[in-house]
Amino acid sequence: MSNLTAEQPMNVRTISDGARPVEVVAILVKRSMIRVRRMPSAFIPSLIMPVFQLIAFSGAFGFAVTSLGIKNALDWYVPLNAMQGASFGALGVSFGLINDMQTGFFDRILMAPAQRWVTVISSLVAAVVRCIVPITLVVLVGYLGGMNTPGGPMAIVCVAIASVAIAVVAAGFAIGLTFRMRNLGAATLTQFAIFFTIFLSTSQVPLSAMSGWLRGVARINPMTNILRFARQGFLGDVTWEQSWGGLIAMGALLILTFVYAMTGIKKFDQ
Amino acid sequence: MTQAPIIANGLSRYFGTGDNAIKAVDGVDLEVHQGEIFGFLGPNGAGKSTTVRMLTTLLKPTAGTAFVAGYDVVKDADKVRRSIGVALQDAAIDPLMTGRELLTLQAVLYGLSKVAGKNRGEELLERVGLTAAADRRVGTYSGGMRRRLDLALSLVHEPTVLFLDEPTTGLDPMSRLTLWEEVKRLNAGGTTVLLTTQYLEEADQLADRIAIIDHGHIVRQGAPRELKAMVGSPTLSISVASSETDEARLILARFGDLRPTSEGTLGVGLARGAEDVASVIRALDEAGLKVRHLELDEPSLDDVFAEATGYRLEGADAANKPVETEAEPETKKSRRGRK
Repeated sequence: MSNLTAEQPMNVRTISDGARPVEVVAILVKRSMIRVRRMPSAFIPSLIMPVFQLIAFSGAFGFAVTSLGIKNALDWYVPLNAMQGASFGALGVSFGLINDMQTGFFDRILMAPAQRWVTVISSLVAAVVRCIVPITLVVLVGYLGGMNTPGGPMAIVCVAIASVAIAVVAAGFAIGLTFRMRNLGAATLTQFAIFFTIFLSTSQVPLSAMSGWLRGVARINPMTNILRFARQGFLGDVTWEQSWGGLIAMGALLILTFVYAMTGIKKFDQ
Repeated sequence: MTQAPIIANGLSRYFGTGDNAIKAVDGVDLEVHQGEIFGFLGPNGAGKSTTVRMLTTLLKPTAGTAFVAGYDVVKDADKVRRSIGVALQDAAIDPLMTGRELLTLQAVLYGLSKVAGKNRGEELLERVGLTAAADRRVGTYSGGMRRRLDLALSLVHEPTVLFLDEPTTGLDPMSRLTLWEEVKRLNAGGTTVLLTTQYLEEADQLADRIAIIDHGHIVRQGAPRELKAMVGSPTLSISVASSETDEARLILARFGDLRPTSEGTLGVGLARGAEDVASVIRALDEAGLKVRHLELDEPSLDDVFAEATGYRLEGADAANKPVETEAEPETKKSRRGRK
């Protein structure tokens, strides 16, 4: 066999100009939604669980937070359960990715001339779209239950921002892990990580009511800052003082998880 | 300067490192010419799919270089992807989506405009005979329909080079013929096709040239007719009682070189051609051996394969059957296997 090289590309007559990122993101997100619509059984638990937890937590532990001066337990738990619902809803993209890897569909996406970052962004945008319904449902149930929003519409804006950010962080971490592990364990581990991160923060009671090691962990847990940001409009006015810590925490986590997802797809590509 | 659409030099892919590394593909050299159908023939686990995955940028080579459509598969992966169409071994199709939705998705992934994508999708659906089923979920398609859709998807952007990884595995004969016709039609239109297969007939029917790969190495390469001619003489296969096998083998060896055959039979390449058949029968008869079955085959690709690898492809499993060219003591295990 001769040592042939091809310095000059052959006369290519393909009609592909390379993929346009926005259109690729849109079509992949659309596909994710089609899958949700045609296989709702995979999505429904992420709707039911946060509502169930909202009712269960506010009913069972409501006395603890109301004894600390909070008017209605729902004011405390709606932001928490909206964020939790958003994160578990977003995990669906990780399950979808694993399914695509196992069926070989992901090879089809990798073989297309779309940039790798576009693939990652598609999954993250799909996570955002998927989390909208659980967030809305939890807030609606909160309204029906008589929650207070002294912060006005900004209360809802804050909880929406925090929930979407947590959804993207959860999805970014999950797909980064999925690219490394290539099996269902990645989604399960992410669920585990979200659960611990949330519960080792001020998810159940304020920092002032905590003591010992839990207080120490909750103080440094970025989730505490994000929860403070999300809850502020439910407990009082929305202020910069209550916001900046959460915004920094969300920004840092978003960057970290995006980098984690990107390095994951690069490793997968190897 | 060559313009061969597919060129590989010393292409290798190892899984793992050090002494435990599995050499899935080891130093493959290939040159596929413009406008030809190139068959990549080998049993499961021979390295066909791994080679295709490297050539289609899905897997980075451990060593060696490869150019597809004139672009380096590692350095210019994006340009390679724009130029090739790929239908992988398992039709990677989302069963929850419809054929039309998948074609639209594929068109967007390759940067076709909305109108161009729609028109191309309709054209391809008609071409592969799926217009009526276009709006049905792929999960309801038969295996043949899925393969045809997979082929249509790989053609959305009018690739210059088409990779088909075992496109007819698991298909019924009718679906297989339909797909062959489509591949021939595409090739007639100027598309270069690299086709992997474990079916000898498929390689024989479709390929202008073939490469036989075994244990990660290319062991033969050329036009099927040339390769068959290299094997030369016809093969006479006989079966005798198992207790008479060794004696029969000695007699057959007088008429030519012993060749691997399917289990339970003995094969010899008749040096003087078919005219030796009568002499063989007479020799066996004179030795008191009773011939239970006799068959004379002109050289086939299976003979080429057997001559190159020491075992036959037809019926070979992933582990590959042991070489059966020389007298091999019959073990208890092999006897049990035949019962």
